Amino acid sequence: MSRTAYLLLLAVFLAPAVIIYSTFSIYPLLATIFNSFYDRQDDGTSLFVGLSNFTTLLSDPTWSAPFWNAFRNNCLFFLIHMCVQNPIGLVLAALLSLPRLNLRATYRTLIFMPTMLSVVVIGFSWQLILSPLWGVAKMFLSFFGLGFLFGPWLGEESTALLTISLISVWQFVGIPMILIYTALLAIPDELIDAATVDGLNQFQAFIWVKLPLILPTLGLVSVLTFVNNFNAFDLIYAMKGALAGPNFSADIMGTLFYRVFFGNQLQLGDTSMGSAIATMMFLIILTGVMIYLFVIQRRMHRYSF
Amino acid sequence: MAEVLIDKLCKSYGSAEILKDIDLKVEDGSFVVLVGPSGCGKSTLLRCIAGLEPISAGGMTIGGRQVKNLPPAKREIAMVFQSYALYPHMDVKGNMAFGLRFAGTPKAEIEARVAEAARILQLEPLLKRRPRELSGGQRQRVAIGRAIVRKPQVFLFDEPLSNLDAALRINTRVEIAKLHKLLNATIVYVTHDQVEAMTLADKIVVMNKGRIEQAGKPLDLYYKPANLFVAGFIGSPAMNFLEGHVTGSGRVEAAGSGLTLRLPSSCKPGDKVTLGVRPEHMNLGAAPGPLLQAQVDLIERLGETGYAHLRLPTGQVVISEVRGEPGHVTGDSISVGFDPVRCHIFDAAGRRIE
Ligand SMILES: Nc1ncnc2c1ncn2[C@@H]1O[C@H](COP(=O)(O)OP(=O)(O)OP(=O)(O)O)[C@@H](O)[C@H]1O
Ligand SMILES: [Mg+2]
Repeated sequence: MSRTAYLLLLAVFLAPAVIIYSTFSIYPLLATIFNSFYDRQDDGTSLFVGLSNFTTLLSDPTWSAPFWNAFRNNCLFFLIHMCVQNPIGLVLAALLSLPRLNLRATYRTLIFMPTMLSVVVIGFSWQLILSPLWGVAKMFLSFFGLGFLFGPWLGEESTALLTISLISVWQFVGIPMILIYTALLAIPDELIDAATVDGLNQFQAFIWVKLPLILPTLGLVSVLTFVNNFNAFDLIYAMKGALAGPNFSADIMGTLFYRVFFGNQLQLGDTSMGSAIATMMFLIILTGVMIYLFVIQRRMHRYSF
Repeated sequence: MAEVLIDKLCKSYGSAEILKDIDLKVEDGSFVVLVGPSGCGKSTLLRCIAGLEPISAGGMTIGGRQVKNLPPAKREIAMVFQSYALYPHMDVKGNMAFGLRFAGTPKAEIEARVAEAARILQLEPLLKRRPRELSGGQRQRVAIGRAIVRKPQVFLFDEPLSNLDAALRINTRVEIAKLHKLLNATIVYVTHDQVEAMTLADKIVVMNKGRIEQAGKPLDLYYKPANLFVAGFIGSPAMNFLEGHVTGSGRVEAAGSGLTLRLPSSCKPGDKVTLGVRPEHMNLGAAPGPLLQAQVDLIERLGETGYAHLRLPTGQVVISEVRGEPGHVTGDSISVGFDPVRCHIFDAAGRRIE
């Protein structure tokens, strides 16, 4: 094959991916970053302003207060997922991979089910469940004599974000579970037999043999959680609207961006500042993923059996 | 070291009986090899001895101690797995020391035992490597090292050589034999390989469908197989079987011809019998003893020896060893003889008749 023909062939095979990826991923990303350097004037023209949108966002109190609030909330949102969703996913995966377990497929499907439901449906159902007026949560707790524990969790500043985070955990716990379960299945039984002969019980074998072997998967799950959480928007929007109330206590980067970029109620849309926020989100996620790729993943070994 | 006594051991998974009434004595310091067709329960028996599978009925003692309800780590056994089952995330030293560390062995003692095992198995330069940086043979040695450091009463091997190439397999086989002498160890060893079984074993146990067909010294099994199964299983190529029936005193009608053999007095005319002759005990052309007419189907030449596939008038194919350069080609009609003393006779139920 001649060199030109080879290059042509290369182009033909690469073209679909390059075109689709460029149009729908790279172009919007670059356009957003580009936008964030401009300020849209009242007459419709755009003026290059350099980094001033970012300085405004980070130093002007009217902008920086909501920004840092959203950032803090977002970190909390991520932390809750890391501390609740992923450990539960790990435990569920470990239980699912127990050698003597009946109804394995049933459990797997049931736990994975919420992940396949629409976020809007989930948000709405949980709003009904938790409603102080007619929610079943209150009746459920009262039934066990625990009624005093109940509170309007979604309506209080101190608990709204936590409640929504836990609902999100409930919805998505199936994903870490499936990923970790698959990794556990790949560990040969003989390895666990060897550990048993070496004197470890099931639990110790899990901690000392299985866990180190699935560290790469745990890393992957963490980074996926990070990316998803800092891109989150839909559940909070579905349950709390763009204002992410009460008093922005559930406001995260996604909802902040939405309000600024598209406008909300009396707030006019501001594409430049919106783009600046979107760029900040991109940078935050980029930093996180970079840390994972260059610091954490390099120290981990993948094992083939 | 210790002896292993297995007493009426049964093992079932649900309703499937995998092992039935296994009685076995593994003498102190002896090398016992379990052989049998795939799925006959060799690994299951080994895992029962290890304690990795609970037994359904019967008992087992190791060194005089009832171990039925003891976990593997308390049985003072060590197991070498077919896939080696090395911990991928630990280096060679870590792999060998892991069990000892868990047992709370003092550090100095661990160091000493690992160093000793590494010396015996020539693993010293490899102690800091991870399993994936080792060749198959080296991994095998690490797996054996991990067993040695435990100073077990009994070593259990499940097809340890089956993942090695042919040359390495012979080497490692010799090393295992040396190791057995050196450690004076009691070993139970599962294999598919006849040669491994014959060369390593003090005692071979032939299993079939969850039962022990025969247990004995390798040559006893070769010269005096207790039944048709063992006769067909031990020896390669397999023993030839000729169906026949007793026609008169000392006479058998088999393979389309009448043969005169020295039959035991318990054989009455009309009894169905099966004659078994090993390929290496057959001779093309003249022979001291009965002759069969046959046609050459195929001759396989291996160099010094070869195997002739011969078609009898009944259509049955028998295999005869040939030495030197046979002058026969496919299609030749020849006669093949065998030494009646070397002929095994089995009754209708497949049991050996002396
Ligand atoms: N966990 C299990 N549940 C049900 N049946 C099993 C289980 N493990 C093994 N068996 C059955 O037990 C029988 C014996 O298995 P085993 O592994 O002991 O055979 P083997 O003699 O080692 O065969 P191979 O030479 O192929 O290794 C097989 O028929 C197998 O299907
Ligand atoms: Mg097996």
